[in-house]
Amino acid sequence: MSEHHHDHDHGHDHDGKPIQEDELPALEAQILETSVRELLIEKGVVSADDIRRAIEAMETRGESLGAKIVVRAWTDPAFKEKLLTSSDDALMEFGIDMRPMELCVVENTEDVHNMVVCTLCSCYPRPILGIPPAWYKRRDYRSRAVREPRAVLQEFGTELPDNRQVRVHDSNADLRYLVLPKRPEGTEGWTNDQLEALVTRDSMIGVSDVRSLDELVG
Amino acid sequence: MRGPQDYGGLPAGAVDPVKHEHVPTHWEKTVDALMMLIFDQRRQLARVDESRRMQEMLGEDYHKYPYYERWLQAVAWLMLEKGVFTQEELEAKQTEVRGRLEAERSGN
Repeated sequence: MSEHHHDHDHGHDHDGKPIQEDELPALEAQILETSVRELLIEKGVVSADDIRRAIEAMETRGESLGAKIVVRAWTDPAFKEKLLTSSDDALMEFGIDMRPMELCVVENTEDVHNMVVCTLCSCYPRPILGIPPAWYKRRDYRSRAVREPRAVLQEFGTELPDNRQVRVHDSNADLRYLVLPKRPEGTEGWTNDQLEALVTRDSMIGVSDVRSLDELVG
Repeated sequence: MRGPQDYGGLPAGAVDPVKHEHVPTHWEKTVDALMMLIFDQRRQLARVDESRRMQEMLGEDYHKYPYYERWLQAVAWLMLEKGVFTQEELEAKQTEVRGRLEAERSGN
């Protein structure tokens, strides 16, 4: 039995600290954020509940939502056509509203591999994939994705044959990209759940392929 | 002329997809939420390119700011520019908040 199991007199708070608190932001940043947030609430621009809901909403976005869209496109040719040509209508079926942005879905094929970047900031298909990964916002990726995409892909462990063309799409404020990865061979007859498990966030940004069938078995 | 944000094609370091992942903190999510709310269809107080313009106005400081501090500065400047609150209101609020947060941080 542990030594302090019966020791209830050692004076510290028994509610304990079950949660490792985030590191605090710089004081000046916290002051500015708190001030802006409170002023926006006082002015009736946003409510505390709006902020809570916005955080909740961003947490529901991500890989699994994107995977549902990809798998629908893999299994429903009419939907795929709509996704590639007028993505707004296709996304509405998933309750996703990109407005005022436009989403361009780019399809990976035997001959073409697509990859997405935002060289100027970190524009990303947020209504589908949520907050972009940290590397997507960093200078390394932003600078080099457009200059030496194959080298960058290698850093993600993605090796492409020389005859597969790489197309890099530079996002902006109004136009966002999503990669439609290639459906792997050998997945005929799979259920949607099985297929969705193959699709990763990175495969929809185009820095990697979908999970390999071996990875799923493991 | 290249602005401070204009990284495309410049030499840079290797991407480390393991090390360069980061789960946003609650504070970062709050700043993210404020930006998304001022952009949303209901409010339409600003657009993404306006936020970028504000961040680019940081000039060389652009590189010194952590990502979400840049966003926060952009939200603050946008709200001032749009007249949602005034510089005086912001400064008064900051003085009050500073007192509160400093007390909180020193454990009072």
